[in-house]
Amino acid sequence: MDTPHPRAAAAAVPRIAQATVPGSDDPDDLFPVYLAECEEHLTAAGRVLLALEPDPARHDRGHLDALFRNFHTVKGLSGMVGLREAEHLAHALEGYLGAVRRGAVGLSAAGGAALLDGVKALEEVIAARAEGLAVPPVEALVGRVAALLPADDAAAVAPAPPPPDPVARADAAARAGAAVWRVRFAPTPALTGRGLTVTAVRDRLRAAGEIVHAEPTVVPGGVSFTFLVVAAGDDFAAAVADDGLTVERYEPAAAAPRAVSLTPANLVRVDLGRLDDRMRTVGELVITRARLENGLGRAAAALPPAEWRELRETSRVMERQLRDLREGVMRVRLVPVRDVFARMRFVVRDLAREAGRDVDLVLTGEATEVDKYVVERLADPLLHLIRNAVSHGLEAPAERVAAGKPSRGRIDLRAAAAGGAVVVEVEDDGRGIDVEAVFSRARAAGLVPADAPVDLAGVLELLCAPGFSTRDGADRASGRGVGMDVVARAVEDLGGTLALDTRRGRGTRFTARLPLTLAITDALIVTAGGRSYAVPQSAVREVVAVEPAALTAMENNELLAHRGVLLLVRLADVFGLGRSAGPVVALVVGDGAPVALAVDKVLGVREVVVRPLADPLVQVPGVAGATELGDGRAVLILDTAGLARLARTRRRPADTPGGKP
Amino acid sequence: MSSAEPYVLCELAGTAYAVPSRAVERMEMVEQITPAPNAPAFVDGVVFSRGRVVPAVNLRLRFGWVPYDLRTRLVVVAHAGRAVGLIVDAAREFVTIPADAVQPPPEGLAGTGGSYLAGVATLAGKVILILDVAAVLEHTATAAPDA
Repeated sequence: MDTPHPRAAAAAVPRIAQATVPGSDDPDDLFPVYLAECEEHLTAAGRVLLALEPDPARHDRGHLDALFRNFHTVKGLSGMVGLREAEHLAHALEGYLGAVRRGAVGLSAAGGAALLDGVKALEEVIAARAEGLAVPPVEALVGRVAALLPADDAAAVAPAPPPPDPVARADAAARAGAAVWRVRFAPTPALTGRGLTVTAVRDRLRAAGEIVHAEPTVVPGGVSFTFLVVAAGDDFAAAVADDGLTVERYEPAAAAPRAVSLTPANLVRVDLGRLDDRMRTVGELVITRARLENGLGRAAAALPPAEWRELRETSRVMERQLRDLREGVMRVRLVPVRDVFARMRFVVRDLAREAGRDVDLVLTGEATEVDKYVVERLADPLLHLIRNAVSHGLEAPAERVAAGKPSRGRIDLRAAAAGGAVVVEVEDDGRGIDVEAVFSRARAAGLVPADAPVDLAGVLELLCAPGFSTRDGADRASGRGVGMDVVARAVEDLGGTLALDTRRGRGTRFTARLPLTLAITDALIVTAGGRSYAVPQSAVREVVAVEPAALTAMENNELLAHRGVLLLVRLADVFGLGRSAGPVVALVVGDGAPVALAVDKVLGVREVVVRPLADPLVQVPGVAGATELGDGRAVLILDTAGLARLARTRRRPADTPGGKP
Repeated sequence: MSSAEPYVLCELAGTAYAVPSRAVERMEMVEQITPAPNAPAFVDGVVFSRGRVVPAVNLRLRFGWVPYDLRTRLVVVAHAGRAVGLIVDAAREFVTIPADAVQPPPEGLAGTGGSYLAGVATLAGKVILILDVAAVLEHTATAAPDA
């Protein structure tokens, strides 16, 4: 979801982490869970439907069961949160699938389209509710679904019967004393070569017993299928055993067997905030170990060498373990790009229809994992690249055939991990970018010298220049560039790089190389002397609204009466900015001897990406790095420990060096 | 024409400077500069360039001239892994300067600015000073004594 970070909302004085205890009994807590659950189910349903779209008749029982379960869950959850429209629509879709499953109707192309539109409509309804907007009507679509059903089939309007749960059936059969087997099959090219395909396996199992449940699972390297088979004899295992098949007795789950059928049990949803807290703890551990190491250094003379060496070795081991721990926590933030990629299927489907193109979107490396922050910000640039590929990159079918290409265009969307980076590629087999046309336009606009060498890096730079578009009505052949500045900005903001490769008549490939993880922190956005700064939230112990009466001037210092007495330091003074008139807000910062850092205002809390100030010219005390809040402008991130130090060594404002605005 | 190089032509206090195109990472308006407190006086602040935070150097101050508020452009130059934005009065044109039109800087060229030059060229009767990007970056790496 592209909804803004809820904590980004401007609050006069934000609550500080320590004071925030999320109440688990709060009914509002249910909605985020509902959103996440629905997103998961609708994405999964969309994936199945799009895979089936070319030929819905190709579906099998597994597809129907999965889809049925998706809509059934969405229906149930929507009922729980009182989103009637979603409940109603999901019920109708579930009813249609039920009818297909019973064999009352076939899964027609119109049915497949209705189900896909249903997924989109449900997403819209749920998103509208999440954003507090008017919920779009669903009656027309419900009517469309009802029209697909036999006239006497009241399933679409009447409450659906409880779904026959295959796992429950298997359990019942097992409890009744029948032999139930769990058969796993992982297809490989070698097995397929010998004729051992899923279909062959299914036929063999059917001959030996009754398949009550079939479920494909995505595993590293491909898909594996699990079947539950009720068979009469004990020789079942021997009868079906073969390479690539594992056969074992199915034992019914002792308790709550229904839980198995919904979501994978080995998946835990963790609030990102809690994860960041753990990360912070790890950071503190690293500092503590550094102190230990320092202490050991000092103790070297006082300890017997053997004793000391042993302690030191332990400390070294601890360092390695901490590094592993840190990496492990970072890795928990990684999520697969699958859902973002799956969303692109919808995009391609809609655009292809609009533009009159036949397009195959081929996804590779959907399981590649990237930091959640990166994944969330990947959708926009991908959208632009895919849109460009469909609308401008690919030729019309007739043109393709004339050029000796297949009439269906192909767009590849790939992701792959490469060391500490993730490479995401969008490639089409279209007409390619007319590099010469791009350059002649740039020359005409005076953007490049008249005899500038024509090269790909230059083309990319021109395409990504804000407002530069090569698309014009008369010559769409060179077309690319719409929204490319957005793409370049998004990739750069993530600390990545973008590259281009294009061959005339052969196609175009955009390659984005993105960092696997980012240094992300929650920061208070404050203003002082008319400028914005970010302060890492973890460094702020407290935010105090300063009453003028609580301030005492002592020589050139100001003291704040708060939980005793704190030295008050005005950020505007330290940075040589003009003091603004009016009340100030103090951030209590610093370990050991805390200092009250006075700023004009606290605007709110934002999740920010920390970028180091690596250049020696700008390695200045009190500044830890910079970030960007969406307008391209660098906002400095304060180093509160450094500021506290600076404040203690500083006597009075006039002594501050620089004094630059 | 085999040894001619494209340059970005910049103007600084009425003088034309040329920066080799290949060293230029990007050019933009200067309004995006965020002041960096307590940095050397010739550093106006920081900007984002290609996802990095780079310092913006006020060339007028760096070269020891009086500050003069005519700056309009930021030319981000990169060399040896470092990138620095140079604030100039104007940067609009591209020129191609043949290698044989470039002469070494005249002997005895006085002032701080002299040490940043790779050469001097005359183009259509106009003198163009060619900046040595590596030298500019190297000198800006160490805080100037006047900061």
